[in-house]
Amino acid sequence: MSATIVPERTRTRAPAKAPTPPGRGLSRKRRRAGLLMVAPAVLHSLIWIGIPLVAAVVLSFTSYDVLTPPRFVGLANFQDLLGDQVFRRAVLNTSVYTFFTVPVAMGIALLIALMLNTKLAGRAIFRTAIFIPQVTATIAVALVWLWIYDPRSGLANAILSFLGLDGPAWLSSTTWAMPAVIVVGIWQGIGLKMLIYLAALQSLPTDLYEAASVDGASKVRQFFSLTVPLLRPATFFVFVTSVIGAFQSFDQVYILTDGGPANSTTMMTYEIYKSAFREFRMGYACAQSLVLFAMLLILTLVNRRITGGDRGTR
Amino acid sequence: MAPVDTVGRARAGRVALYLTLTAISLVMIVPFVWMLLTSVKTPGDIAAVPPRLFPTKWAFGNYIDALHAAPFATYARNSFVIAISHTLLNVVIASMAGYALARLRFRGSALIFLGFVGALMIPTYTKILPEFLIVRFMPLFGGNDITGQGGTGWLDTWWALIIPGAVSPFSVFLFRQFYLDLPVELEEAARLDGLGELGIYARIMTPLVKPAFITVALLTFESSWNNFLWPLLVTKSDSLRVIQVGLSVFRTENDTQWAFLMAGTTLATVPMVVLFLIGQRYFVQGFATAGIK
Repeated sequence: MSATIVPERTRTRAPAKAPTPPGRGLSRKRRRAGLLMVAPAVLHSLIWIGIPLVAAVVLSFTSYDVLTPPRFVGLANFQDLLGDQVFRRAVLNTSVYTFFTVPVAMGIALLIALMLNTKLAGRAIFRTAIFIPQVTATIAVALVWLWIYDPRSGLANAILSFLGLDGPAWLSSTTWAMPAVIVVGIWQGIGLKMLIYLAALQSLPTDLYEAASVDGASKVRQFFSLTVPLLRPATFFVFVTSVIGAFQSFDQVYILTDGGPANSTTMMTYEIYKSAFREFRMGYACAQSLVLFAMLLILTLVNRRITGGDRGTR
Repeated sequence: MAPVDTVGRARAGRVALYLTLTAISLVMIVPFVWMLLTSVKTPGDIAAVPPRLFPTKWAFGNYIDALHAAPFATYARNSFVIAISHTLLNVVIASMAGYALARLRFRGSALIFLGFVGALMIPTYTKILPEFLIVRFMPLFGGNDITGQGGTGWLDTWWALIIPGAVSPFSVFLFRQFYLDLPVELEEAARLDGLGELGIYARIMTPLVKPAFITVALLTFESSWNNFLWPLLVTKSDSLRVIQVGLSVFRTENDTQWAFLMAGTTLATVPMVVLFLIGQRYFVQGFATAGIK
């Protein structure tokens, strides 16, 4: 980005000496104004996004504890990653968590959106109720869920015992901790997915459905042959943003389980945090963060292929 | 098929639809109700097995006691100051950038826009470690020399809490989308009237995209208020703690004080719920615009 700005500035100054036709002078003024107006944002992004990205790549080839200067170690961090059982577990956990909080939750969200896409009194109330968890802080709601999952006095087991079931010790059980974290993830994220699907459903062309009805296509047939393909851009968008969100879940794990018990809920983000700020292995943490980045990129590209990307969204 | 039958079936379907939606909405709301009810329970009610839904005695004094147990008011004030700063900085800086990229096409502007879109793709967790190091080694601050050695830089300062979040590529992106839709005639008329480019942006075009400003402001405020990891990493002292970090620290130090903790989480969530209820239209627009337009 800086490379494009610097020559641009010199360019705008150079022709100033020669008399310029009013049209060109105007466009020069506009260019100048444009550069001035975009400069603060570009500068900020260079410092806080551009440099960090380059630094993360460079540091991933070093051993660095913050206190002593980084030491070049080649591919050692990446080699260590391959043998890191806990990180492997984190990749697996992140994938399981993403599977349930993205594709599965998207299916539920689409069902809710279909239900809300009817003439319905009180629709706004339902929509608001379902969306509210999205705007509240994950830390705060995770604390509420921590209390809900309390084995003795929590709401979850109270409801289960009301139904005659014996509730597990949720967050301290290697079997149930992950499902408990997933429930919080689905609960908090489903509102946004539903909302985007609802917006997309409301903008579908009605004439196509009328034509399909005239042709005698059943509702189910219409859903699979019309609605699903027409929702592709929305599906692509929801999928990509949700996967980015799910891969970066951290707050709920921090509050609910601290990655435990026995690493059963640790995530890639959690391992990055632990490597960097509990073990002070910055280089290793950067290597881990690049794996996260690479996985996200691959998932986005694969999804673009499958759904045909965001063609037609704008 | 008799028409009565169809009507009957349609009505049954409607009832089922309402029941399902009510059940789903309840599941979404119950944790908040549980939080509110717990926040006004006495220790005896909280320890009850099985738990009671409603308190036997409404202990509204819990809120006052919670403020004594931990400086939640200070935490909330800090969060508020940071969220307001981020909102103002984002609205000003990102709207200028979004306007320039949408209306004042210049050589390199397409590339700059591509840069912002690319920046959206970079995960927080890839940026956050180097960002921490930049803050830590900020030259000439916090006892650091010109090479960034010797002190603690911006760690545990307002700078670290505010500056890195001053502009988000998402805000720039959103503003550009909104400015794109404005008619070019307005801009040209103002130009003929001799208004400068900055004046056109500030006085002609910006008043026309007020919804964009409200949307970006609300979304920025929300994400800033809810942010956890960054303030956790860069602050140490109690006086600079934000509400989310304050809550998590209070929990580790007072493991069983659920009433106080729920009073604190109420303080942390209610402002966002209220803000959402007031500005729902803009939230919805903001969340949906980025993808579908």
